[in-house]
Amino acid sequence: MTMSAQTPPDAASPQVPQVNDRKPGNRNTLVIAVVVVALGLMAWAGIKNYQRRKQEEAKLKELQAMVVKLPPADALTGATPPASQPGDDTPSTNPLAGKTAPNFTLKDTTGKKVSLAAYKGKAVIIDFWATWCAPCKVEIPWLEKLHDQYAAQGLEILGVSEDDLDLDDQAKLLKEKQDIANSAAGLHINYPVLIDDSNVAKPYGGIDALPTTFFVDRSGKVVATTVGLADRDEIEANIKKALGSGVPQANAQPAGGQS
Amino acid sequence: MRRFIVAAALLAACIAPAQKLPWQADESAPDTHQSVHFLYPEQITVAPGKDTVVELHFKINPGMHINSHTPREKSFIPTQLIVVEPDGLKIGSVDFPPGSDYALAAMPNDKLSVYTGELVLHAHINARPGDHLLEGVLRYQACDTNSCYPPRKAPVAIDVIAR
Repeated sequence: MTMSAQTPPDAASPQVPQVNDRKPGNRNTLVIAVVVVALGLMAWAGIKNYQRRKQEEAKLKELQAMVVKLPPADALTGATPPASQPGDDTPSTNPLAGKTAPNFTLKDTTGKKVSLAAYKGKAVIIDFWATWCAPCKVEIPWLEKLHDQYAAQGLEILGVSEDDLDLDDQAKLLKEKQDIANSAAGLHINYPVLIDDSNVAKPYGGIDALPTTFFVDRSGKVVATTVGLADRDEIEANIKKALGSGVPQANAQPAGGQS
Repeated sequence: MRRFIVAAALLAACIAPAQKLPWQADESAPDTHQSVHFLYPEQITVAPGKDTVVELHFKINPGMHINSHTPREKSFIPTQLIVVEPDGLKIGSVDFPPGSDYALAAMPNDKLSVYTGELVLHAHINARPGDHLLEGVLRYQACDTNSCYPPRKAPVAIDVIAR
């Protein structure tokens, strides 16, 4: 770049050295510096690109499970695809209102057997949930706090996991149970979490929507049910209802508030 | 849109002795009360031996969402396409769209990655001359604003005519 000979010098501006005035050594240094910077940028871009491709490859491997290909259908003679049965996912109505809560015996995440019958005389919340259920993870911390608040008055909570279990594959089953235990621990659940490996949800109306929560009074009767994420105040009102009913009036303990 | 190359022949061993289609052996919830339905195509005609992209259209019921193929939480169930690859029909890859952000009102800061409305997958296929039946299911786990439902499978069946 050369400045025009006709351009009048600007007296107010500092003198700018012209390229032609530079020594060859300075020019070479400048060129080398530019080349080094350019090479550095290219190397940096190359490394970044390599890292990005590696990340994508890793992600790709992880995501290949999103499409599962199976062998030819002719190996499956006589097979037919599952029939489509259109209809909305809709919460079922509670068939147990006012009835005795069906008894069950399940193992908790530590392997200990827990039976609903053992809780007679207590108010019990039976909370059906699953590790893949986001609204359940909203409700569970409320239940934990309410458990702390009302335990002294006789409130017990049983969480029943409705996660799918592979009962035919012991290794998978073990992992699935461990995943439930890990999830319960991650949520800091302070009450027993039971693993439903015998479809106890069926006598409870075949639980479909999660969370579904049953409030059982001291005599074992279902006094309220919520399907889906309920309002916290509604849950607390149901707890008070369960605590305050099902026992002779003389023995009934006052419900509500921390004791 | 991301393209995912499909690994060759998965799960072959576990379904070989079965007389049911593989997804029928799964003991997850019965496929009633579907939240997702395969819309179309029911039949396509493709050039034999030529790579072809097929759009698979699904409808997610209003008010419902399903996890994307890449949910953000490990315990959430990703949407998967499970297909039987018949003789003469190759499924090279399937593109899943990215999920949209969704947050429960009670957890506004926890963004889920979900699909809502219409879901379109792009399957890359290559068919030998003849008629083929592409069968499969879309496995998904749906929720609405307050409830979640067990994982289910929406059946997919497409007649692929290569000529």
